[in-house]
Amino acid sequence: MKTLHSNKKNTLSWLWLMILTIISTFIGLAIDNKALFIGSVLFIVFLKGQQIIDVFMELAQAPKFWRRLLLGYVTVLPCIIYFIYVL
Amino acid sequence: MNSESASALVEITNEHVLENRRLPGDLAMWFFILAELTVFAILFIGFAVSEQLNAEMFIAGKAKLHPIAGLINTLTLITSSFFVALALNAMHKREGKKSAKLLVVAKLVASVYIAVKVWEYLSLFEQNIDIETNTFFTLYFMITFFHLMHILLGMVILAFIAVKAAKNEYNTSNISGFESGASYWHMVDMLWIILFPLIYVI
Repeated sequence: MKTLHSNKKNTLSWLWLMILTIISTFIGLAIDNKALFIGSVLFIVFLKGQQIIDVFMELAQAPKFWRRLLLGYVTVLPCIIYFIYVL
Repeated sequence: MNSESASALVEITNEHVLENRRLPGDLAMWFFILAELTVFAILFIGFAVSEQLNAEMFIAGKAKLHPIAGLINTLTLITSSFFVALALNAMHKREGKKSAKLLVVAKLVASVYIAVKVWEYLSLFEQNIDIETNTFFTLYFMITFFHLMHILLGMVILAFIAVKAAKNEYNTSNISGFESGASYWHMVDMLWIILFPLIYVI
């Protein structure tokens, strides 16, 4: 039963990642503002990273320290990149 | 069962889950993953800073890349990671043969990534563009080739765990090696998810 739930969760996560990837590739066509465009793309990076960390890597059930460390990576790094491009 | 006892049961179950939080795979692999993430973070920040210092060169360089190739590679790596996650679920159910088959599918999907990457490199070489052309292409080849090396290492690891899974050498108390290999593969996927928008989209 647990595996069935995990497979369903993985499948939903995979679909969400595919949709986010396509959105991030073509989002530039819809947004003219540079800061908003870069911010949107990097926010999608965070959303995708969170899915991989929590669902594929199964860190949602891991010790909080490791989950926070990896989530910190996909939060802080896009923020640094954003400030390099926008400021 | 009334609602009070049901919520008490949920609370006890949640506490049990929280008390049994376990890091999948070996601790050493997670330190290795952290080291790899740090190296790539330095490369990504270096790329972004260089782009700000050489804006025109980077715009011209990015115009010579193929965003659709980058998109295909992103979709293949996500799909490959998905099959590795399914393989781990199968292994938790002690279905070694099914798990090995899912890992083979993950590798086949990942080989699309390699084919596209090689095609990208060859098409740039045909335009007389290589690692020495300018700063943009030095960083482009360095970062993407370094990532490609990680993909190749990941495929060797997946092959190793697929063989062991097919022989049913993993069980619920001895699955750490499988989880470590899977975590490494997901890390490679996660790195591409940052690399792709940085080099191809922004």
